[in-house]
Amino acid sequence: MSTSFRASAVDWREQLRKNSIRTRWVIGIFLLIYVAIGVLLDVYLYSMGWVQLVAQGGVITPPTPSQALMDIVTFQVVPWATLVMLAVAVISIIVTFKMYDRLMLLGTEYVEATPESDSLELKQLYNVVEEMKVAAGLRYIPKVYLIKADYMNAFASGYSEKSAMIAITEGLLKKLNRAELQAVMAHELSHIRHGDIKVTLAASVLSNLMLMAIDILFYNVIFGGGNRRGVARDSNVLLIVIMVVRFALPLVTVLLMLYISRKREYMADAGAVELLRDNEPLVNALLKIHHDHEGHAEAYAAAYNATPHDSVRREAYIYDPVKMGIEAATSPSDWFSTHPGLKKRLAALGYKGVID
Amino acid sequence: MTFVFILIIIAIVAVVAFIGMYNRLIRYIEAVNNNLKQIDIQLDRRFKVFQSLIEVVKKYMNYEQTTLKDVVKLRNQAQTASKQGDQQAKIDAENQISSIAKGINVVFENYPDLKASQNALQLQEEIVNTENKLAFAKQAYNDSIERYNADKKSFVQAFVVSCFKDKLDKTFVYWNLPEETIKEREDYTVKL
Repeated sequence: MSTSFRASAVDWREQLRKNSIRTRWVIGIFLLIYVAIGVLLDVYLYSMGWVQLVAQGGVITPPTPSQALMDIVTFQVVPWATLVMLAVAVISIIVTFKMYDRLMLLGTEYVEATPESDSLELKQLYNVVEEMKVAAGLRYIPKVYLIKADYMNAFASGYSEKSAMIAITEGLLKKLNRAELQAVMAHELSHIRHGDIKVTLAASVLSNLMLMAIDILFYNVIFGGGNRRGVARDSNVLLIVIMVVRFALPLVTVLLMLYISRKREYMADAGAVELLRDNEPLVNALLKIHHDHEGHAEAYAAAYNATPHDSVRREAYIYDPVKMGIEAATSPSDWFSTHPGLKKRLAALGYKGVID
Repeated sequence: MTFVFILIIIAIVAVVAFIGMYNRLIRYIEAVNNNLKQIDIQLDRRFKVFQSLIEVVKKYMNYEQTTLKDVVKLRNQAQTASKQGDQQAKIDAENQISSIAKGINVVFENYPDLKASQNALQLQEEIVNTENKLAFAKQAYNDSIERYNADKKSFVQAFVVSCFKDKLDKTFVYWNLPEETIKEREDYTVKL
């Protein structure tokens, strides 16, 4: 890995072009998966005779599955389940690209940093982002959010330069000095400039959206249904269904994650060094984040796990807590990380053997 | 027949490649022009920020009136030079404003009360921010010149440039310090 990116590190325009294509693939595959599930459902319902039962009110001899498939593909019958799944998929895509900022921040407490912010810290954060925007020659300044959390992390998201956002945690802002903060922001702005945010957003939100909806339902069943009597048995069944779906859906994730670039972190690190003309601040920042996570492993693991929907941010984080063994892997999608190890990243930045 | 066909294909590929190179060079030239304007924007911003900064500083101490006058004078010099198209004179004047900014920071060091106050921290952040933005704008400008020059002088592109000399062959001055200033900065040591 560390040798393969060397020649292409400077050529982020190529990366930008590839990322646009990848985003289209992610959306296409997502639609395809949902339609496939819909067709399967249709074939099942039709061949079991349920559709006919509803339509004609009487039991007739149901067709064989292959006959059912032929009927559905040739539009002899209306494929209701497919249409519903297609609608769900299209709505998911629209929701993802309309509400990405709220989805990416879901489960966290946050404030926006603006030039009018009262505190010096927020103002400094905004200034640093603006400086990096000037250095990178971006046309728009991304929205900047501060997440109220002790652990040190940061991510960028959005679907274009214009709509981009950067979020960092309070722990990161407090513990890094100005130069290190600048390095981290340069890394995040490089993600924006390279178009990584688009693919990461599409892949991680689309694959997690159903999961998020189910999680919200799940929390409601557990915490919301307790005061009514007689729901216990129903919610048990629902619980089993939710558990099954919760482990089946991440398979979609795996397919979509294939399109997230494995070089993106190296490229963003290289981009940060290009903007700052210095590799030391970024290395220091990464080491500080790493040692801080090691020092507070238990507290941070609890904090990460207590933050709902953290998996949606995972692929976008500058420092992956699951990969580093700090956050527990809670769903099968956690087993398929596209994050490179910190050791390799530091080696690529010219600091070999500073951690083991 | 096939020979003619192959020739036509080669000609089409060559024309497409030629147009691609031409367009890329134009894009690079416009990027340089835009980045130069970005420096102007940052310079303008700095002028305004420092004027208001000096106003604030004057409230704390009888900071010499001359500083403000110096800034205004240098600013005017830069603008006249810019109008006359004298890039080097403009660069010189702007560089002198930078040295005044350092003077303001030194003034803060001499007044511990002022330095400790939240206001002063904000002012310092403002100065650092302003100077950083300007430095990064200059960096982006020089980078875009480098990209353009490298492309212009490359093997095949040089031929494209020679076909459209007036449109594609531009000479841009890198943002740099004059020789004597470099010497001065190099010999500089901190005196405490």
